[in-house]
Amino acid sequence: MGDADGTGPPELLFPGHGEMAGRMRAFDWAGTPMGDPAGWPASLRTACRICLTSRYPMFLWWGEDLRLLYNDAYQHLLGNKHPALARPGRQVWGEIWDVIGPMLRSVTETGQATWSEDLLLRMERHGYLEETYWTYSYSPLHDDEGRVRGVFTACNETTERVVGERRLAVLQDLGAQAGTARSVGEACRLVARVLGRAQRDVPFAAVHLRDLGGGLVPAAVSPPGTAPGPLPDGHGDWPLEQVLTTGEPVVVEDVVRRFGRLPSGGWERPPNQAVVLPLPGETGAGPVGAIVLAASAGRVLDDGYRAFLDLVARQTAALVNGAVAYEVQQRRAEELAELDRAKTAFFSNISHEFRTPLTLITGPLEELRGQLAGAGERVGEELEVIRRNALRMGKLVNTLLDFSRIEAGRMRARFEPVDLAAVTAELASVFRSAVERAGLDFEVDCPALPEPVHIDRDMWEKVVLNLLSNALKFTFDGSIGVTLRAEGGQAVLRVSDTGIGVPPGELPRLFERFHRIENARARSNEGSGIGLALVKELVGLHGGTITADSTEGEGTVLTVRLPFGTARLPAGSADRGAEPFPVSAADPYLQEALRWLPDEDEDGDAGREEPVPPATGAARARVLIADDNADMREYLRRILTPGYRVTTVADGRAALESVRADAPDMVVSDVMMPRMSGLELVTALRADSRTAGVPVLLLSARAGQEASIEGLEAGADDYLVKPFSAAELLARVRAAVKLSRLRNHHAQWRTALVDSLQEAFFVCDEEGAVVEINSAFTDVLGYGPEDLPYRPKHPWWPDEETDPEAHRAIERAFAQVVGERKGSYVTPVKHRDGHRLWVYASFNEVRDPDTGRRMVVGTFRDVTAERLTAQRETALAALSVRLSEAGSVPEALRAALDELRGVWRAPRALAVTWDGADRAPRPVAAVPGTAWGRPGDPVREAVESLRGRNPLHPAATCGPAGIGITLEHPGGPLALWVEASQERPFIGEDHTLLAVLGGYLGQMLQRVHAFEQQRETALALQRAILGPDRLPRGFAVRYEPAARPLEVGGDWYDTVELPDGRIGIVVGDCVGRGLDAATVMGQLRSACRALLLQFADPAQVLSALDRFAALIPGALCATVFCGVLDPATGRLAYSSAGHPPGILTHPDGTTELLDQGRSIPLAVRPGLPRPTGTRTMPPASVLLLYTDGLIERRSRPLHAGIAEASAAARRGRDADLEKLADDIRTGMEPAGGYDDDMALLLYRHPAPLEVAFPAESAQLARVRGALRDWLERLDAGPRLTQAVLVAAGEACANAIEHGHRHNPGRTVRLRAVVGADALRLTVTDTGSWKPRQPEAGAHRGRGLILIHALMDQVDIVTDEAGTTVDMHVRTTR
Amino acid sequence: MTTPLTLTDQRRPDGTPVLVAEGEIDMSNVGEFRAAVDRAAGGGRLVVDLTAVDYLDSAGLAALFAHADRLELIAPPLLDPVLTVSGLADLATVHIT
Repeated sequence: MGDADGTGPPELLFPGHGEMAGRMRAFDWAGTPMGDPAGWPASLRTACRICLTSRYPMFLWWGEDLRLLYNDAYQHLLGNKHPALARPGRQVWGEIWDVIGPMLRSVTETGQATWSEDLLLRMERHGYLEETYWTYSYSPLHDDEGRVRGVFTACNETTERVVGERRLAVLQDLGAQAGTARSVGEACRLVARVLGRAQRDVPFAAVHLRDLGGGLVPAAVSPPGTAPGPLPDGHGDWPLEQVLTTGEPVVVEDVVRRFGRLPSGGWERPPNQAVVLPLPGETGAGPVGAIVLAASAGRVLDDGYRAFLDLVARQTAALVNGAVAYEVQQRRAEELAELDRAKTAFFSNISHEFRTPLTLITGPLEELRGQLAGAGERVGEELEVIRRNALRMGKLVNTLLDFSRIEAGRMRARFEPVDLAAVTAELASVFRSAVERAGLDFEVDCPALPEPVHIDRDMWEKVVLNLLSNALKFTFDGSIGVTLRAEGGQAVLRVSDTGIGVPPGELPRLFERFHRIENARARSNEGSGIGLALVKELVGLHGGTITADSTEGEGTVLTVRLPFGTARLPAGSADRGAEPFPVSAADPYLQEALRWLPDEDEDGDAGREEPVPPATGAARARVLIADDNADMREYLRRILTPGYRVTTVADGRAALESVRADAPDMVVSDVMMPRMSGLELVTALRADSRTAGVPVLLLSARAGQEASIEGLEAGADDYLVKPFSAAELLARVRAAVKLSRLRNHHAQWRTALVDSLQEAFFVCDEEGAVVEINSAFTDVLGYGPEDLPYRPKHPWWPDEETDPEAHRAIERAFAQVVGERKGSYVTPVKHRDGHRLWVYASFNEVRDPDTGRRMVVGTFRDVTAERLTAQRETALAALSVRLSEAGSVPEALRAALDELRGVWRAPRALAVTWDGADRAPRPVAAVPGTAWGRPGDPVREAVESLRGRNPLHPAATCGPAGIGITLEHPGGPLALWVEASQERPFIGEDHTLLAVLGGYLGQMLQRVHAFEQQRETALALQRAILGPDRLPRGFAVRYEPAARPLEVGGDWYDTVELPDGRIGIVVGDCVGRGLDAATVMGQLRSACRALLLQFADPAQVLSALDRFAALIPGALCATVFCGVLDPATGRLAYSSAGHPPGILTHPDGTTELLDQGRSIPLAVRPGLPRPTGTRTMPPASVLLLYTDGLIERRSRPLHAGIAEASAAARRGRDADLEKLADDIRTGMEPAGGYDDDMALLLYRHPAPLEVAFPAESAQLARVRGALRDWLERLDAGPRLTQAVLVAAGEACANAIEHGHRHNPGRTVRLRAVVGADALRLTVTDTGSWKPRQPEAGAHRGRGLILIHALMDQVDIVTDEAGTTVDMHVRTTR
Repeated sequence: MTTPLTLTDQRRPDGTPVLVAEGEIDMSNVGEFRAAVDRAAGGGRLVVDLTAVDYLDSAGLAALFAHADRLELIAPPLLDPVLTVSGLADLATVHIT
């Protein structure tokens, strides 16, 4: 086989190195009905080549039993059916033949291509009945004779996509249920409901949950109501306990043997495979239950299916856990409310009860400090912490007691005159060290006052210390000042700072009890909000006032005014009630203030990390502690250090920075902190996807349901209210760290899952910026995660300048993504390396669970190949439609060029051949606006450059940028050239497309050419058999074949001029239509003609035709009306062989049917005598003969049709005969045209007179004689006859005179036609008449007068050709 | 085929000349007819008998018009319309037989 140089026929026919090409070359074709390839039609050979050289799955069905020829790409789709070369299609695809068989039949019978998209085919190609989806088209393949002999198919398996989209929809449906279930039971029912909608993928599902006793109870099942129990002697129940124990899924491979037939989800067979999966609990707890998910028998349970079912189980678990969490949350909220109530009661009722224990703490403590002074640093530190906090507690208790005393009116001041300046300066000096350590200037200016001031020393102490403490707390740089002056009879104390100031809106509430300015930057957020309120009360007790002046950002001045003297002091004893808790008043304030400031041994706010013990550091989780209280920081550090690496920071801002720099395993944060609160910290962490997963435990002294919910809503994982035990804290931290690690595991798992998707995956934010992608995304587009986020316009958008069409397409797609909830689109994109591809993307809107923001999740895949195949198919189909309408090669070329222009939006396109004898290029078709210039014209140069190229090898042209291809053409080489449009530059795929279209066009041109030749021959033959070349005068005929493009059918009409001057008239109708009927008709017509010449008697003719017809298959039951007319007398003898009766219309409008001489159709009873009818046609009557195509309509009696035809003839009886014929044909035509052959024949008696004679006066008598005879046939009376003779004679005489004068020897014509109530006479000559001049007295003028007087209407038209006199006269005077 | 026409000169008993025509008169033979009419008219009264004339056109009428004021015509009903329409009946004496 094949020559060494590869030019041998098999290599040409079966080109390429693929397996199928090899198989086809080696195949024993002669052993199949297809025979030796050498004898194959050209189209089959071409299709074979296209198929084998294509990388898209393509195949052919050929011949009666549609044998299969296919390429390598299709071979893989055949599964175990391969090899199936040249096997009958029904054998190969028996299981889907009920679907594709009728489609194929429709293609071979109608020649129309089909197109199927995502069509479900139940195939058995991998050993089981498989659910598969396909997109393909069937196009007809013609043999050289133009018959459809095969079907060409390009196909694409879309199973993965269809099933994948369906599964994704199920997961999305499940995901959409999140947060809706209020109970575990409801969550399970939601899952079952969703899976009930997804039975094609999960035909059966059952959720089992652990109950309180640890047992399993069924919670929900899909489809509802199914409760399959294990068969009595089957293989057992679901392995639920095994799954729960091991935590691992189990695949059950023998579902049918265990349970019998489970619901099949619409598939023919019940599921035999199922997966039992655990439903993992939250925070690493054991499974909460297990779910059984059956797999459809239509899809193999492969990795993809397993992954899908796994995700269903996880979604289910998430929904169940969400419901559990909701229930827990509900309970905790209730508990918190209870706790708050208890705390409130506690504080308000028994504050003073602290005093005793506090006393019993501080007293012994002081003793211990003394005794343990040398016991070591750690002991000293701990004791110091106890002391400081006991002091703070004492101060707090005292303040609260002060308030309760003031409120109860029991506060009794012991006023004594003091040197206020000295007392105040001394108090201020206590704060000096703290103020200076905070890096502030401290200016105390208290000159002696002119007189003493009556004060209660303890109260004044509290006033001054509170004011100073306050100033220090809110001042970060600058200074604090204390001044005392005597002003207007008052002692005026001013404490000023350069701190943050108070917003104007807050000033009026500054002294309100428990009022705190939220979010103020402070050294500490500690504080009860009662310091200034107490100051105000105390100043009030002194008869004084306090006011505040503040400018936000600049500082605050608090001014206390006390009156000199005692006049305004309240009267009363000095009853102080219970002694206050005995601590030095200044110490607590100072100690507290010092704790706000950086320790000398701490490295400030930047954070502090415990050194990592080297042995265990790698495994230990890291905890970040954020608290503005240094003691608390230290306390927490000590609790956590044994198990965790601990980092501490002093406020939320520092915590956020620390987390962002290096995320810890968890954050423990106070709620109330300066700079950034714990709630703000949580919100900020959650908003950033990098830190959203870090668990946060909030600590707060502020109890209450509201605070707790606020924290959890902000996204905190847990919430711990002070005071708390170390054990409690440790338990919470341990759980959260575990959760964190699990979360990280989840995140890693999610990333791996997303990355493992075959399809590219992306997440967009609401602005359309792509914020997350997977590796398939990078594979398809070349853009990696390193440059995330990709903001619109994304770098893969096609360029707006060079490819505006593609740019608009992606703009539309993008608008869809940002504007709609879900959808899909196909759009062109540009790979990073610049090449164009097409992607099919589908997307869905989701709400970010943390932020509630709208996000878009989408997947896409590269559909460039599919798209190109589809584009090719579409273009081929469009071309095929256009070409099927083309009747000639030039028409086909014009249509093809128009189509090519459409495909490429080409401004210009041209087809050129070199078919002439001189082999010079000749344009054969061009779209409008394409000029074929002189040699040297750029377009011409471009096209000529194509000459000599191998056929069907597209080439780019420059000059005008374009693309061209050469074809074999019936007349010689042909080149097609298409100009590139500005909108759409040519790329590689366009070359392939042009090659495909060109190949098809070449094939079609051959066909059209062959068809054209056949048709010309056929037309000549048809015209020869249809009717006479020339009709006798007075006749008109019309003919409509039912079957286009034939011009003949089973009906015919005929006229035969017999030797004796009579005329044979035949109208007949053979059974059937189309070519078969036409061949019978031709024979009957010829025979009838011959018989008329022989017998000249209609009955005899038909009897003889009976015998003839009996010999012709197909002539049986033909109907014929045969008549012989004497045109001189109007006598018509006729006989009808089963034919509808002729209609005779009289000039007065009455009609009669020629229903004599009737007998049976032809060849039914040869030998049966036939009758003859006769009728003499009255003058001006019209005979209408026809076939039943004119009158027969479905569901209408025949006589109704005859009546309608009679009416049409009656209406037009006075019209010109040709017009009457047109009126009847169109008037009777059904909507949509005649659906049967139709013939009609009209004759008006007498036939028009036509006389032509030389322009000589000697002819006049003869002409008159002829006219007189004709008028006699009309039965015109003597007066009418004379009038007509004179008028015609005058017109003829005029014609002779002028004709003689100007053009001697020319011919004059007289024509006389009868209508229903008028005659029309026309005299035509070649001369010109003078206008009538009566005064000239010439007898010619008198002749015109006569004409006008004798005729009813006269028109004389003179032009260059001559003169026509048209005269009408009524016959019914 | 020439137009058939026979012309016979007769005289009435009172001597009045009578031209008897038989056949058809048209452009092809009007010369003959005109000559006969002129001859018969002589200068006095003229009688033309057209009883056997089947056809008379404007050329024949013109020959008769030349002598209308002293012409007496004997014509068949067939020719009546022509004679009336042409106005000859108004000028000459016409007897329709």
